[in-house]
Amino acid sequence: MRIIVNLDVMMAKRKISSGELAKRIDITPANLSILKTGKAKAIRFSTLEKLCEVLDCQPGDILEFRKEED
Amino acid sequence: MWNKDRSLALSIILVRALFVFIIILALCVPVMVHWYDITYTERVGLLEGSVFWPLSVCLYAAAVCGELCLWYLGKLLVNIKADQVFIPENCAHLRRISWFCLLAAVPFFVFGFWRYLGFVVALAAAFFGIIIRVVKNCFEKAVVLQEENDFTI
Repeated sequence: MRIIVNLDVMMAKRKISSGELAKRIDITPANLSILKTGKAKAIRFSTLEKLCEVLDCQPGDILEFRKEED
Repeated sequence: MWNKDRSLALSIILVRALFVFIIILALCVPVMVHWYDITYTERVGLLEGSVFWPLSVCLYAAAVCGELCLWYLGKLLVNIKADQVFIPENCAHLRRISWFCLLAAVPFFVFGFWRYLGFVVALAAAFFGIIIRVVKNCFEKAVVLQEENDFTI
């Protein structure tokens, strides 16, 4: 996967639990888990906006592009 | 009040009823074929002679294909009832149904050499098999879209 989701890092920095984050951005814990484990195929702007708002960060703090090594 | 759940339940009942009906018909094949053989004696095909064995074999082969089609159609409907529509399992069921329809066309095609009507039935079965195959291709695309939708957070 070339896009890395650093959600768990940001959550640790902000000291927020999965359950609380899921509640505050209004998604199910199961969907948050999909996002955290990098299984998600896409993320909605609305979800990203809420994440940035709650975690007080920029999209780049959550998503990272990493070049695949051959 | 008529709704989609009742429609689905009716489809399941019809599929199961037809499954049983084909078994009963299969038991009556020797009698029906014998009656057909002595009633319609005029030559309407390339080959002459009694059609008892060709028609019996053809009908039994088609009955097996038909039963397998209905079996998988029933499984498909049960999955739809459980709100699992666009899943790979349903694509596999549709693929099998399509192949069984195409397989059912083979004995009728062979029987067509005794009675030309066999060619017509074979064509209908093959046509139906191809339609199901196209539906299966649509389902495969839908499975991908469904997965993308499920994993879009």
